[in-house]
Amino acid sequence: MNQVGSALSLAFGLAGVGALAGLVAPARWRSLAAGAAIAAVGAAGAAAGFAVVSGTGWQVSLPDLLPLAGVSLSADALAGWFLLLIGGVAAVVGVYTVGYAGRSGHGPASRAALAVLPVFVAAMLLVPVAASVSTFLLAWELMAVTSLLLVLGEHRHSPAVRTAGLWYAAMTQAGFVAVLLGLVWLAAAAGGESFAVIRAAGPGLSPVVAGGVFLLCVAGFASKAGAVPLHPWLPRAHAEAPSHVSALMSAAMVKLGVYGIVRVGFDLLGGGPRWWWLLLGGLGAVSALYGILQAAVATDLKRLLAFSTSENVGLILLGLAAAGLWADAGQPAVAGVALAAALLHAANHAGFKTLLFCGAGSVLRATGTRDLDVLGGLSRRMPATTLLFTVGALGAAALPPGNGFVSEWLLLQALLHRAPAAGTVITVAAPVAVAVVALTAGIGVAAYVKALGTGFLARPRSTAAASAVESPPSMLAGMGLAAVVCAGLAVAPAVSAPALDRIATGLNAGTAPLAGGGVDVRLSGIASTISPLWIAVGVVGLAVGYAAAARALGRTRRRAAAWDCGDGPLTPRMEYTATSFAEPLQRVFDNVLAPEQDVDVTHPAESAYLVRAVQYRRRLPDRVEARLYRPLIAAADTVGRAARLLATGSVHRYLAYMLGALVAVLVAGVIR
Amino acid sequence: MTDQLLNLACGLFLLTAIGVLWRRELSALIALLTVQGLALTGIAAVLAVGHSTETMVVAVGVGLLKAGLLPWLLRRVLTQVPGARETAPLVNVSASMLAAAGLVLLAYVAARPLVELAPTAAAQAAPVGIAVVLIGFFLATTRRRAISQIIGVMLIDNGIAAVAFLATGGVPLVVELGVSADLLLAVLVLQVLTTRLHAAFGDTDLDELRELHD
Repeated sequence: MNQVGSALSLAFGLAGVGALAGLVAPARWRSLAAGAAIAAVGAAGAAAGFAVVSGTGWQVSLPDLLPLAGVSLSADALAGWFLLLIGGVAAVVGVYTVGYAGRSGHGPASRAALAVLPVFVAAMLLVPVAASVSTFLLAWELMAVTSLLLVLGEHRHSPAVRTAGLWYAAMTQAGFVAVLLGLVWLAAAAGGESFAVIRAAGPGLSPVVAGGVFLLCVAGFASKAGAVPLHPWLPRAHAEAPSHVSALMSAAMVKLGVYGIVRVGFDLLGGGPRWWWLLLGGLGAVSALYGILQAAVATDLKRLLAFSTSENVGLILLGLAAAGLWADAGQPAVAGVALAAALLHAANHAGFKTLLFCGAGSVLRATGTRDLDVLGGLSRRMPATTLLFTVGALGAAALPPGNGFVSEWLLLQALLHRAPAAGTVITVAAPVAVAVVALTAGIGVAAYVKALGTGFLARPRSTAAASAVESPPSMLAGMGLAAVVCAGLAVAPAVSAPALDRIATGLNAGTAPLAGGGVDVRLSGIASTISPLWIAVGVVGLAVGYAAAARALGRTRRRAAAWDCGDGPLTPRMEYTATSFAEPLQRVFDNVLAPEQDVDVTHPAESAYLVRAVQYRRRLPDRVEARLYRPLIAAADTVGRAARLLATGSVHRYLAYMLGALVAVLVAGVIR
Repeated sequence: MTDQLLNLACGLFLLTAIGVLWRRELSALIALLTVQGLALTGIAAVLAVGHSTETMVVAVGVGLLKAGLLPWLLRRVLTQVPGARETAPLVNVSASMLAAAGLVLLAYVAARPLVELAPTAAAQAAPVGIAVVLIGFFLATTRRRAISQIIGVMLIDNGIAAVAFLATGGVPLVVELGVSADLLLAVLVLQVLTTRLHAAFGDTDLDELRELHD
C-alpha cells in the first residue's frame, strides 16, 4: 500500500470515527469532534489526491467486501484531481462546521446531521476512485442518500425544506436510474464491469450503444451537476440545506457530475462523434445563460449562489464539449486546453463557491434571513465576513485578480481557436459559444455586484441586519482557508499545469495543454501566454496607486452631508435593494424571465386623482420548472389517480391480478 | 419400478388438485388435501430412497405437516365456523374444469425448458407441480369463502414443494423447514382471519371486506 492507499484508508477510517463521534459525543462537544474529523478526512483525501496528480498510481481490489461483485478501487490523475478538490472543500467545511453547527445540539448540530456528514464526505471521496460499475454505483447512491438526509437537516423549521427534499429525492433518484441504465448497458456491451475492461472495449462499441450510453449518462450526471433543464432541485436544495451542507454540495458534489461525464465520455467510451459534444455544448450554453440570468434577478442570497452554480457548471460543460469537438476534429492541442479550462474552472468554482456559501451561512446565522432586500450594512457589523465574501465574489465574477478569471480566459482561448479544416458546424458553434461566455461573464458581474453591494454595503434595511454580530473564529478560519486557496489559484494557476497535462494525456483527449509551471500560464498548442500574477499585481497596484495619488495630490478630504435633493434625511428605504438593482436587467430579459408582476394603486375615497398607496408585487417563477416539470408532474398525478381505480378493495380481484400476471409471464415465456 | 411409483404419486397429486376444484363441500376438500399431502410425501419418499437420511427426514416431516397438522387445523376452523359448509364459487364447476385443463396445458408447455435440462423421470413430472400452483391460484381467485383461500394457498405451496422435490431430487432440510414454518404461519393467520370474520360479520365471505382499499 503506497501513500495514496494509506491516505485514503486514513480518510475512510477517520470518516468512521467522525460518524461515531457525531453519534455518541455529548451535545457540547459534538460539532467540535465531528467538524475536526471532517476536516481531517478532507485533508487526508486532499493529500491522497495530491499524491495521485503528482504521478503516483494506486489500485486495490477487495473481492470479499461486497457479495457478488466486490469492491475495486483505483486512482488515476483524473480521479486525483477530483480527490484533491473534494478533500480541499471538505477540509474547509469541516473547520467551518465547528462554529456553524455550534454547541446547541439541535438543527445542524443534531446527532443525525453530524453523524451523516462524515459519511457523505467519505462517499464523495469514494466516487472518483471507484474502478468498476458496481462500486461506482454504490458510492454514487451512498452519496445521494446521505446528501438527501443532510438537506433535510432543518425540516422542522420550514415546509420549504420538505419540498426541497422531495424535489431533490425525486430528481437524484431519476438521475441515478439513468446512470444505472447507462453503465449497466455499457458493462453488458463491453463484456465486463471493471472500468479497465470497458476502457479496452470502449472504442469498438457500436455507435448505437455508445450513443445511447452517452445520452443516458449525460442525463444522469448533468442532473447531478445541476445543468438546465435538469436543475429544479438545485436552487431549492442549496437554498434550504444548512449552509455548510450547501457548500459541500455546490462545491464538491455537483463536480462529481462533471467527473462522471469526463469519465464516461472521454475515458470509458474514448471520445465520440460530433453530435455528442454539440449536445453537451448546447446544454452547457443554456445552463450558463439561464443560470446567471436567474441569479441576477434572485433576491434570496443562497438561491442566487445556487443558480450561479448552474451557470458555472454550464461553463464547465462548454469546456468539456469544446474538448470533445476539437479532439474529434483532430486538434488535440486545443482539445487539451479546453479540457484543462473545464477542470481548472471546476477547481476554481469549488474554491470560491465554498467561500461564498460559507459567507451566506455566516450572514444567515447572524441575521436569520437570506433575503437581500432586507439585509445591507453588514460591512460595519461583520467586517471580516464581508472581506472574505468579497474575495469569493471577485472570483465568481471572473474578473482579475479573482480566480475565476484564468479558467474563463483558458476557455475563451480554446473556443477562439480557428481551424478551417474542422468543418462548418464548429466554425459556427465556436463564436456562438464565445458570445455565450462573454454574456454570462457580463451578467455574472452584475449578479455579484448586487450580492455584495445590496447585502453588505450601505445601511441596514432591517433591525435584524442592524444587530448582526461577527461569526465565531472557527467559521472565519474556515472561510479564511478557502480565501487563501482562492488567492493561490488566482495568482498561481500554473502550479496545476503538470497535473492537468497528466490528465489530458491519460485520457487521450489531447496533448499536454499547459507548458511548464512557474508564474506564467503558457499554452503549448496555441501561441498564447497569460501571467495572472502580473495581472493581479498590475490591477491591485493601479488601484492602490490611484487611491494613494488621489489622497496625496487631490484636495483635502472634508466631511459633508450627502446631497439628498433637499428632502433629507436619507433613509435606508431610499437605497438600492436587490430587486431594484436587478430591475433594469429584468426589463432587458423580460421575454426570457417572464416575471409576474402587478401594481396596485389605491386611491382615497375623496378623489381618484390622489394616491394613497402603491403596492408592487413581483414574482419570478422558474420558467423551465413551470413549463416542463409542472405538466409532467400533473400527468404523473393523473395516471396515479387513474391507477387507484384498479384497487377496488376486492381480495378476489387482487388474486386475479396475481394469477393473470403469472399466466401472462408463462405465456410470454412459451411464445418467445 | 421407482419411476412408476413416482408417476403414480404425481398423477394422484394432480388429480386431487382437480378434485379440489370439482367438489364443493369443505369437508371433502379437506379430505382431498390430506390425500394430496400423502401423495407429496410419496414423491419425497420415492426420491429420497437411495439418497441421504436427511432427505428421508424431510419426507417424513412433509408428511406430518401436510397430511397431519394442516388438515387438522382446517377441520378446527370448520367446527368453529359452522355456517360455511360449502364453498361458493364465482365461476361454476364446469367452467373451472375447463380452466384447469387450460392451466395444466400451459404448465406443461411452459415447463418444457426445465424438462429439457435433465430428462429424468423426476424432471419430466415437474410440470405437475407448476400446474398445481396455477390451479391453487385459480381456486383462491374464484372462491368466496375465506377458507377456500386457505386451501388455495396450501395448493400453491404443495405445488411449489413438488416442483422443488422433482427438479432438484431432494431439498435441504433447512430450506424445507423454512418453507414449512412459513406455510404454517400463513395458515394460522388465515385461520384467525376466518374466525374473526365470522365473529364480526356472521359470514366468511371475503367480499365483505371491500372497504379496505387505498
